Amino acid sequence: MAISSARKLCQNLIALAIQRCRISNNLCRLSILLKSPPEFNPPLLRVSISDTGAGSSLAEFKCMNCTSTQVSAETWDGVLSITTTSICDNEIHHYSLSFKETIATRRLSRLPTTPKNGRKFRQVGSEVSFTTQENIDDFVVWITQLCQKISILKIPMVAIELLVEQMNGPGSRCDHLLLAKDGILLPLSMPSIERLASGLEDYVLKHGNAVDKECQECFSSREQLKVGRGVACSGQSVKTTVQMAEAVIVITEVPESSNFSCLRACSKMTEVLYFQDFSPCSIPQLSLNALASIDWQSYGLTLISNAEDEDGCTILEWENLSPFTCIHIVLHSYHKEYPPSIIMKTNNVQNNLRTIGILKNQPVLTPQMHRRTQCDRNLVKKAVKIALDDLKAKYTGLFLSSHALKIRGYAPDLSRAIAGLILSSNDKDFQGECASLLGLQPVDINGEGIVDSCIKEKIIGVIEMNDIKPKYVKEYAPHLFEDNSIQKEESQDAEDEGEDILDL
Amino acid sequence: MEERSRDSSSKPQNLHLLQRIKGFTRSLLEDLCIRHCLPSVTLDRYRNYCSDPTGNWYCCNSNLLNGEEILSLEKESHAYRLDALLRVLLIVQTLLQENKHLSKRDIYYIHPSVFSEQQVVDRAINDICILVKCSRHNLNVVSVGKGLVMGWLRFLQAGRKFDCMRSPSTSHPIPMHVEEVEDVMCVAKYILVVEKETVFQRLANDKFCEKNRCIVITGRGYPDVSTRRFLRLLVEKLCLPAYCLVDCDPYGFDILTTYRFGSMNMAFDAKVLRVPEIRWLGVFPSDAEKYHLPDRCLLPLTPKDKNKAETMLQRCYLHREAPQWRSELGIMLQRGMKFEIEAFSVSSFSFLSDEYIPSKIQDGVYI
Repeated sequence: MAISSARKLCQNLIALAIQRCRISNNLCRLSILLKSPPEFNPPLLRVSISDTGAGSSLAEFKCMNCTSTQVSAETWDGVLSITTTSICDNEIHHYSLSFKETIATRRLSRLPTTPKNGRKFRQVGSEVSFTTQENIDDFVVWITQLCQKISILKIPMVAIELLVEQMNGPGSRCDHLLLAKDGILLPLSMPSIERLASGLEDYVLKHGNAVDKECQECFSSREQLKVGRGVACSGQSVKTTVQMAEAVIVITEVPESSNFSCLRACSKMTEVLYFQDFSPCSIPQLSLNALASIDWQSYGLTLISNAEDEDGCTILEWENLSPFTCIHIVLHSYHKEYPPSIIMKTNNVQNNLRTIGILKNQPVLTPQMHRRTQCDRNLVKKAVKIALDDLKAKYTGLFLSSHALKIRGYAPDLSRAIAGLILSSNDKDFQGECASLLGLQPVDINGEGIVDSCIKEKIIGVIEMNDIKPKYVKEYAPHLFEDNSIQKEESQDAEDEGEDILDL
Repeated sequence: MEERSRDSSSKPQNLHLLQRIKGFTRSLLEDLCIRHCLPSVTLDRYRNYCSDPTGNWYCCNSNLLNGEEILSLEKESHAYRLDALLRVLLIVQTLLQENKHLSKRDIYYIHPSVFSEQQVVDRAINDICILVKCSRHNLNVVSVGKGLVMGWLRFLQAGRKFDCMRSPSTSHPIPMHVEEVEDVMCVAKYILVVEKETVFQRLANDKFCEKNRCIVITGRGYPDVSTRRFLRLLVEKLCLPAYCLVDCDPYGFDILTTYRFGSMNMAFDAKVLRVPEIRWLGVFPSDAEKYHLPDRCLLPLTPKDKNKAETMLQRCYLHREAPQWRSELGIMLQRGMKFEIEAFSVSSFSFLSDEYIPSKIQDGVYI
């Protein structure tokens, strides 16, 4: 089933709320409250997204548009209720935005304001709500998964809660379905990539949040996870905005003794979790192409297919992956410096709304946006490759290239032959000399298989060492973060892989 | 395994080669343990001719050392070749230490599934020869004897007497261990090398050696190392003229050049295998008209034949050392026809032994 526009709207409103939290640069709470008032038949679901971030700019909503036909065909009523105030406001503003109205200028209705009565400090933030006919149970499942994914980011200074208000009988009861507070508990100094890695580890340990707690049956400790991190960024100068891409890859090997449901969580498929500006979204086609164009073979992986499922999730399918091994990937593309300019903020909103089809006219990509899309593509690819190289460097033998695996296949025969040349020699001095070279004691020469296994170990060690590309070192070199360095590297990279050279 | 001598220390050559093999093994370990790189093997590359399209054939000498080839584990094809090389080297080391001999075929059957085909062993042996700078027989590796000899000749090989003179028209296998041939005695006037065994048998039936006081040798097609080394030994020791009779086709011509100039595969050892003195007795393209061969004996050159002939025409040694041979090959290509030695038996079974060969040698119709 394709995702409904109510869900897309909800997802985008959450994204806007996250941006407001980030802009505020203070501890913030993002609350998502679901209510199902009993008096309606058929039952309606009231979705309210509130945040204690910076107040909402109406510019976010002015560009929203939607035809009455679209609204009537949808499960939401076409009306957004907006309540917002910022720290410098003396009042709380209320608006109603009706997409049923055909004339754009009449859509936004300003409602009576509420005075703050001097209580500036507490009353900062926004609340946006709408009503939908979606089944509450289905919606709860969907939004819970969405919030669990957002919690992977562990957004600094942002706590996220998901509440469902049960209104049965005379009273009402509020259930906390989710409270993600790691964002505010972790040290502020913790780098974003570390938060992302930690978040993905949590996610993986719970089998993609299919279970409530970490699965002790499969993972006795966090150290079992093999984690690779990759960060790439565009040049930083007066003219350019700092664009970041982070990639975390976690490899898990579920024990064969795991129960059936755990083994099901392990498959040849990888769902790529993609975040843009701290919000989950579908991976842009250009970035997906970039992901597909990675030379996976050089990491011993064969990518059979990459496709987006009906929920907008990107699924990578691997060949020859061990049935007990699973690859988890999360990507995050965002602006490092915030608050972003209002122009960028508007552009983001336009982007988000375009994806849900409620912008009246398809706006032409501005040069800035076009540049950003291209930049994302290259940065995402670069970050993933760095993460793969990171894994390769940290875990001996992991992700050996197809070529290295083939060469390694010769190691036993070669070592046996070399050992044979040593052991069958009738020159004892020569044997002693060889033992010394191998770091063995002369007496070890006569030990069964010792020389053979020592040589094999050394051959395999060199093969594995050679397979770690030298550019792994280069990519962490300081010049990467200097102006335009990424453009130069990407152009070379594109040439190497026979792709079009991108002019960033 | 054929045992030749119980005491390897009596063979300085063996000790010398064993020293080189140990040096090679040591270098492999140094690659791994000191330089922390994958073992690689540097082999000199040889060729016995070039095909310079610019026509600068005089800059190329025979046995030219033509750069180096580096076998590295970095390449999968090299990894397999190295594996084969090391396996064969291990066998060779044992042979040298125990002073025993094995044939190439014996070696193949030690690891048939790994070697997959005889050519893999052959190449490994050639690589080892280049690596330790020796000839194949020095490795105590022999090929199963293919060549045959008959005529006015007597010699000893490892104490065993080969007395061909007692019955000059009886064929004897050419000894595998040519280096052990000694006390060669001969009353022949020349040596005749024939390409094919059928022709050799024809000459035997016709008692050609008895009538002509000669030695006849055949390599049965492309000659093996033993046949070439034996021929070279006879030519050197006996100082007899040697004539070669091959089919008038590009393959016969190629066999002829193998006797005189050596083969590309064993270019590294061409110096001890070639017989520069050998002369081409026939059959020449012009012999078809001269001896009135019927048209049914003449066959058109196939595209493969033509291609081979055209390629051979480019070989530098033909330009430089055998322009007349090259010119005859050109005529063959120009006419587009080929024929076999047996074509001369059409009119009379014994025409070859009674007339063709004796008259050519007597009249000096060879090049």
